[in-house]
Amino acid sequence: MNYPFWNVPHIGSGWVIGLIAIFHVMISHFAVGGGLYLPLAERKALREGRQEWLDIIRGHSKFFLVLTGVFGAVSGVGIWFAIGLTNPEATSTLIHNFVFGWAIEWVFFMVELSTAAVYYYTWNRVSAELHLKIGWLYAVASLFTLVIINGILTFMLTPGDAWLAVAGTGHEASRFWQAFFNPTYWPSLFLRMAVCTSLAGIWALVTCSRIDGTQKPKLKTGLVRWSAKWLVPSFVAMPLLLGWYLWQVPESQRALLSFGMTTIGTGAFTQVTRTVLIIVMTSATIVGVVYFFAWRSPTEFSFSHALAVLLLGLVATASGEYSREMLRKPFVIGRHMFSNGVRERDMARFNAEGYLTHSPWITTNAPALARGEIMFRGECMACHTTDGYRPMKRLLAGRDREAIGNLLGMLHDYKPDSPYHAFMPPLVGTKEEIAALGDYLATLSQPAVAPDTAPAKPALARR
Amino acid sequence: MSKTVSQSPGQESPPDTDVATRRAFVWAALGAAGVCYAGAIGYPVYRYLASPVERAEAESAVTEVTLKDAQKLPLGSVLMFKFGPRPSMLIHHQDGSWVALSAVCTHLGCTVQYQPARNVIHCACHGGEYDPVTGKNISGPPPRPLTRYVAKVTDTGVVVSRT
Amino acid sequence: MKALSSIYTWADERLGLDDLLHFAQKKRVPEHAHSAWYYWGGISLFFFLVQAITGVLLLIYYRPGPDAFESTRQITYEIHFGWLIRSAHSWAANLMIAAIFVHMFSVFFMKAYRKPREFGWWSGMVLLLVTMVFGFSGYLLPMNELAFFATKVGLDIPNSLPVIGHKIATLVRGGPEVNEFTVQRFFALHVVVLPALFIPLLGFHLWLVQKHGNAVPPAEEAKPPAQRKSIPFFPNFMMKDLAMWLIALNVLALLASMFPWDLGAPADSLKPAPTGIHPEWYFMSSFQVLKLFGQWFPGAAGEALGMILFTLGLVMWFLIPLYDPSGKSGQRARWATYFGLFALSILLVTTIWAYAALN
Repeated sequence: MNYPFWNVPHIGSGWVIGLIAIFHVMISHFAVGGGLYLPLAERKALREGRQEWLDIIRGHSKFFLVLTGVFGAVSGVGIWFAIGLTNPEATSTLIHNFVFGWAIEWVFFMVELSTAAVYYYTWNRVSAELHLKIGWLYAVASLFTLVIINGILTFMLTPGDAWLAVAGTGHEASRFWQAFFNPTYWPSLFLRMAVCTSLAGIWALVTCSRIDGTQKPKLKTGLVRWSAKWLVPSFVAMPLLLGWYLWQVPESQRALLSFGMTTIGTGAFTQVTRTVLIIVMTSATIVGVVYFFAWRSPTEFSFSHALAVLLLGLVATASGEYSREMLRKPFVIGRHMFSNGVRERDMARFNAEGYLTHSPWITTNAPALARGEIMFRGECMACHTTDGYRPMKRLLAGRDREAIGNLLGMLHDYKPDSPYHAFMPPLVGTKEEIAALGDYLATLSQPAVAPDTAPAKPALARR
Repeated sequence: MSKTVSQSPGQESPPDTDVATRRAFVWAALGAAGVCYAGAIGYPVYRYLASPVERAEAESAVTEVTLKDAQKLPLGSVLMFKFGPRPSMLIHHQDGSWVALSAVCTHLGCTVQYQPARNVIHCACHGGEYDPVTGKNISGPPPRPLTRYVAKVTDTGVVVSRT
Repeated sequence: MKALSSIYTWADERLGLDDLLHFAQKKRVPEHAHSAWYYWGGISLFFFLVQAITGVLLLIYYRPGPDAFESTRQITYEIHFGWLIRSAHSWAANLMIAAIFVHMFSVFFMKAYRKPREFGWWSGMVLLLVTMVFGFSGYLLPMNELAFFATKVGLDIPNSLPVIGHKIATLVRGGPEVNEFTVQRFFALHVVVLPALFIPLLGFHLWLVQKHGNAVPPAEEAKPPAQRKSIPFFPNFMMKDLAMWLIALNVLALLASMFPWDLGAPADSLKPAPTGIHPEWYFMSSFQVLKLFGQWFPGAAGEALGMILFTLGLVMWFLIPLYDPSGKSGQRARWATYFGLFALSILLVTTIWAYAALN
């Protein structure tokens, strides 16, 4: 516990990242896919002499510049602020490892932003060939921002054996490329590129929906249908890519998908499985909705139809990012650092010397209950809150101090056959610290008046 | 699907067979999606309706079970049986005492097992443990003890009944 | 394909399907900047269908009376996918009311209640009220702690009426306290009485829509007929309507599967009410108005006054087609729009206020 803990009530600090990240993904993937869409559309318009198309593409590039350059860039930086506050240990590890990765990322990022602006402001001011070249430059630069950041993102799920072998020795950066091109790098890259093309199509449909279908039926039909086609490749390839990705995910993490089905008899899949099913369902719906709304009657395709498609895209993307995070449990950096920032190799030391001992954020003579609360903040609040998201008040409802102690004991033992082993970090600390945590949690659980009548399985449907 | 749809001058209208193929493809795709939806909705509904069939109907109708020849159970071993629809266990302890318990974990309803070597009742799902004599929850997530039954030994078997 | 078409011909000769199809193709739906609002009635209808289907499914295992909580617990934890069906029913109930609210306000602001559509407005309002009673009665049925206290608090509203209020409240409850008799009669209301009222009314409402067609807003009416656009009902509008239903289904599936409805603790009248107990969100506005008047004017008079004011507002809202002066001329009636905005903001402000007051 080298850092103070950021307490975000009700939603938990993780969701601060989550909300910013989902918003950012919707835009950043559009920035990459749109980078391809703009020059390809421009090239098609130039070759076939469609002047009307060019006007629309120009309007689209303005919208594109504002959306990606302002909201995309700001939310991207927002993620780094949020992760630094939420999980400083993991952020520190990432920076130590990938400082040059980020430097490269920022170079491409600067090129991306500049070319996006130049692309928009040079419409009709430079020759068509040169303008198209700027568009291609943008496409390449934005693609490379994805190529770079994807390495860091996938590293967190699968750091790879080469990097893990040197983790903690101080020479981690010597395995930069192995860590970068980790096992899930390629499937994730192609998966994200597929998402990028879809989002480019979806956002282009938003622009196309503003064209007046009665005045310019031919223009609208052409552009709406051409944009709708951008959804085709990704939806054909998506099942394969998803399969490839899951195949590269370690067996231990993949087990999280089926875990709930084997232990709960009532057909309640785990959260992550349900989320994956939601992705499949919304993706299928997007295709259906685009087919009915856009392809079948392009001239009547309205702004609200486009927003409906965008909403579905948001649901699918959010579900995707959420399940990717869930798949990493119980780690924040696979097989190296647990979700709560405790490194696997520090477990024994914390158990012997105490989790709070070396923390500069607590006085040694603090009362036991306060120590229990700090234990909770440090070790549990990365994923749980007291009364909001995954609330202790509900999860522990009806349990007395002894039952809580039993559960904590099990989390502390962290036996390989313990089912919590699959998705919860071990509880580290000395006996006294764990007892203090138990006392604190008992104040939250508020033992029910009549425990016998309490529902037998309060936590079942939510896990 | 490489055709452009715009009707630019000079572009040949696609041959009829091509349109027919595309139409067939679209219908097939829509049909497949429809079947997926029907499955996604139909499967939970089917399981929902079939639930009572799957779990033996006579829930709680049974108040007493006679286990034939169970009195011959060796010391320190366990006999699994069904008390109505509920998996249950009869343990013959080393000290000669007989204990009958429900084998349904009070946490999430998995079937628990008696481990004679460690003399505990263990649940493999989430690692909950119970005392094999009293049924009390001693470790792990279970919130409550296992239900205890009364075990009466007779000449021909063991009679287990609700308390 | 051949077989299909011959089956169709066989059925057509006996049922006149072709006539129906031609009729549907001839029927046109206006298309303009505000036509997105046309879908909300259909979305409400979709959620009603979901309610009917999931409701029948829940009926298979639910037992009212003293077993209410236990049977709900079995549905949630023991019956396969019972949690999903129950969640879908609870979520769709909330989504249905939300969709009806959107539908109502869009009809109001598009002035779709004007001649000859007055009965459409009135039947729609009654449908909304019936739906809210559906929600109120259904909320109690699991007989958990939250339902118990929310119903208790909710029944304080009629209780505050002078003279007859107490009688009404006891009659609705079936006793001085919320108990298994209350569940039993709410159950009868929820699955027999209300559907028997709702379904014929809904038929009437839909028949009116079919008879008069979709209303166009005044801004669109002002345009010369040549500039107005429309699309055929079949297949264009129907395809879009179905796509909307598909989206609604997605939203419902997402909510029901990712945020399953909690069961909570069984109701226990001896326990103190948990903190922050409150009725469902669609009653929060009236709840807050009553509370405020109770604070401003001491005694029962305040609550009664609040109730009377609220009822008056509702009656005014209900009767808008009769006194909106633009009813015949087709011009924009600004003050009716202001009245609508006023009602909407009162509704929003009191609801937010009520939630803020909980903490």
